[in-house]
Amino acid sequence: MKETNVGLGEQAVSRSPDDVLVAYGLGSCVGVVMIDPVSHTSGLLHAVLPKMVDGMNYGDANPSKYVEGGVEGLIAAMVKEGANKNRLIIRIIGGANMLIASGLTRSFDIGTRNIEAVRTTLSRLKMPIAVEEVGGHTGRTVRVYVADSRVTVRVIGEKEREI
Amino acid sequence: MEKQVSFDQDFLEKLKTIANEGVNNAASGFSGMVGRKIQFNHPVARLVPVLSIPELVGKPDDDAVGIYLRFMGDLVGQIMMIVPHQKALELVDLLMDLPPGTTQYLGPLERSALGELGNLCGSFFLNSVAGKMNADFRPSPPAVMVDMIGAILEIVVVTTGGISEHALLVQANFMDGSRCVEADFWVIPDMNSLQDLIKKNSVA
Repeated sequence: MKETNVGLGEQAVSRSPDDVLVAYGLGSCVGVVMIDPVSHTSGLLHAVLPKMVDGMNYGDANPSKYVEGGVEGLIAAMVKEGANKNRLIIRIIGGANMLIASGLTRSFDIGTRNIEAVRTTLSRLKMPIAVEEVGGHTGRTVRVYVADSRVTVRVIGEKEREI
Repeated sequence: MEKQVSFDQDFLEKLKTIANEGVNNAASGFSGMVGRKIQFNHPVARLVPVLSIPELVGKPDDDAVGIYLRFMGDLVGQIMMIVPHQKALELVDLLMDLPPGTTQYLGPLERSALGELGNLCGSFFLNSVAGKMNADFRPSPPAVMVDMIGAILEIVVVTTGGISEHALLVQANFMDGSRCVEADFWVIPDMNSLQDLIKKNSVA
């Protein structure tokens, strides 16, 4: 099996049974997994921030860095690979608040804002979320096994488990 | 639009000199706290793509401890110390004067000891730089995170990544002869506030 590292601000879509899509150590970042069980197409987005700062536009920027542009970009890439938008099973992972320290926590809670941005974007597109493994204060590594559409999460000190 | 910030090589060299003294001072504080001579490599100052930051130390899902603080005042920025998990356990033994191998778990007391170390190294660094640049910095209390490296370093990414595609990273490494102590020490100044401070002081 071949692991494809989906880094920050990246997305990957695959139909190859040999592929495992991985986003390592998601903290406040959010991972969005989309699977079409009929065409066996799997996709993973590793978004960093909810949306662009006001006054900036996507232009040359990398849309996968932001939840808003990234979710729509992943759907488009899935459809291009042969997936049907109405069949997509969507899981969201991550969005932790990593800083638990007085004076720092509130201003840094990007994780919660990332989760909200995914929910809002998908709700606008009328696409339901099947599973959420979000929030808390720990990082997560997510793996998507294209061969059998399994999705797993690992947190520090624990074994990989299916969600 | 993104505000473009650039630094020439000459400036980065000068910044390295200032950072070198700061890291030297931090290493002295570190040495005093653990009761052994801590060495450091000469810091590197460079612009790095923000999104590559979680992959600059080890593998992003390796276990580690991050000690993080911010500073405000004439210059705004962040300081992050990253210690591999096993090395953090050994470091706690040193800090708390325990026989090697005693610490097996990082509870509140152990995290507090590591936080104090980060606080001390950060303050020693900032005091030295503040003196050089005739400026005033106020550090925040430290936050200690025990998690995957990628998740820890995302803090730096989300803090800088909304505004700029690149971050100015000052990177040093603390160690001792026996390799018992091993820690990465990062300083990430906000680039706009650094340029403003330099204009004011004509340090460059």
